[in-house]
Amino acid sequence: MVTLASFYWGWLLGAALLGFGMGWIAVVHRGHGLSKAAAGWLGLLLVVLLGLALARVVPGRPGYWLDLGLVLLAIYLAGCSVGSWLRYWVVSRHESAA
Amino acid sequence: MRGLVRWSSKWWPGALPLLVLWGLAAWTTTVPLEADVAARASAALKDTVLDKTQIVVAGRDVSFTAEAFSEEGRRSAVAAVEAVPGVRLVNDGTRLVAEAQPYVWSVERDVVRVTLGGATPLPASKARLLDAARNSLNGVEIADRMALARGAPQRFDAAALLLVDQVGRLKEGKITLTDNKVALTGMARELGGREAIAAALKNLPDGFSVASNEIKAPPYVFQAYKDPVAVTLTLTGYVPDNAVHAALAAAAARKFFSEKVIDNLKASIGAPAGFSNVVVAALGALSRLSTGTLVVSDRAVMLSGDALYDEAVNQIRAGLAKDLPQGWQIKTEVSVKPAAAPVDPTVCQQLFADLLAKNKIRFESGRATIDPDSAGLLDRLIEIALRCPSATVEIAGHTDGDGDTGFNQTLSEKRAQAVAEYMARAGLPAERFRPVGYGSTAPVAPNDNDEGKAQNRRIEFMVR
Repeated sequence: MVTLASFYWGWLLGAALLGFGMGWIAVVHRGHGLSKAAAGWLGLLLVVLLGLALARVVPGRPGYWLDLGLVLLAIYLAGCSVGSWLRYWVVSRHESAA
Repeated sequence: MRGLVRWSSKWWPGALPLLVLWGLAAWTTTVPLEADVAARASAALKDTVLDKTQIVVAGRDVSFTAEAFSEEGRRSAVAAVEAVPGVRLVNDGTRLVAEAQPYVWSVERDVVRVTLGGATPLPASKARLLDAARNSLNGVEIADRMALARGAPQRFDAAALLLVDQVGRLKEGKITLTDNKVALTGMARELGGREAIAAALKNLPDGFSVASNEIKAPPYVFQAYKDPVAVTLTLTGYVPDNAVHAALAAAAARKFFSEKVIDNLKASIGAPAGFSNVVVAALGALSRLSTGTLVVSDRAVMLSGDALYDEAVNQIRAGLAKDLPQGWQIKTEVSVKPAAAPVDPTVCQQLFADLLAKNKIRFESGRATIDPDSAGLLDRLIEIALRCPSATVEIAGHTDGDGDTGFNQTLSEKRAQAVAEYMARAGLPAERFRPVGYGSTAPVAPNDNDEGKAQNRRIEFMVR
């Protein structure tokens, strides 16, 4: 995996930055979030894709693309978490200071 | 933590750029990643002995096909590819190299090249055999038709290397190793090559044996070329040993009195029976030609060239046929040299004297039988006599001072008579020759030493 990460670290960094930005915005965003049902379906889809990737049943290039997509998604979600948490921390400190 | 779940419902808009990012990443990294994995897999197999190795990478999956030389080697090769970082799956298309039964390997030499064919156990032994062939056959084209197969007999390499070395001794032929039996056919490059190969085959590794050895020896060739322009007699080819060599050189010197003998003969075994006698007789025939080539190849004698006069052709042909032992063949292609221009009797006299000053007509000791070594000289005397058809020639016989005067007188007469008869047999009119015997009455040197006596024993031609 280290070998692969060293191979496309630029793309991973991109996903992480994208996630960080999205997470940063999400805390103060006024728009609608995903409905619970949609989130459930998305979660199910994710579990299925993860299962396919771990079982290594998708052959050749599509298999690689699936792995790549899941890794990017994971990094994205991690970036979102870090971004949201950091924003929340900055906002709450600001409010308490005011 | 509750906050994280709440915020995460608003993360979805980033999924769209993420999809784009994913697409771009897949677009740009797939091919370089595949190349990288392929290079790593090849590097991992560098020290593994395989044949027909093929690595095809799709994404992170490696399709690996190869032929291994043992089950263990096959498994370790697959494991090595599986251990390459970045590889997700290995599609194992490996199998074992086919087993050859019977195990046949061969080396063949023809006019153009040496071809190695059949089965070898490992790429390394194949390379070693090719190297050995290149070394022992300097400059000869080597063609590789060898395939790899399992099931070689023990010590295959040692046996095959020894056989490759023998090909250098062949002019053409084939050596086949079937399991542990060796079969040889073809012809040796040089005389003695067949024997050398047979001797080398005794060093075959344990367990190997010679099933058939049909290597033929090259023809045993003796050649003589009489060159009238350079006034040389060139001897080439083989003689059985140094004694025969000396005897042939001496015979050539006696028969070719005016030619310089260039002796390029080599001693070698393998001469056919009766070789020496046949060559001496054939050299006698060659000495009667003005220009000619003699080739003795195994048991075939081939004489070609120009005789000095018509009757000589028949005499040469009949004489050779008579001298050859059973089982020998003869082929003569003798034509007649164009007659020389007629000359004055005085010129004839001069030519006779010049020729007889160079050499003498020889006889058997104490008898009037002409020595066959003098046939060449007599033919030249006949050629001169033919140039002055009007001249009458006195053939004068002389002896040395030894022995009884009456006997010497008779001997000199008989010897002169024998020469005159020889002239008549050549087709010259008998009445042109007047044989006269002088005994020891007209010496040209003192009779008190061997050299002088030898000079006194002579035949002279006097144009009258």
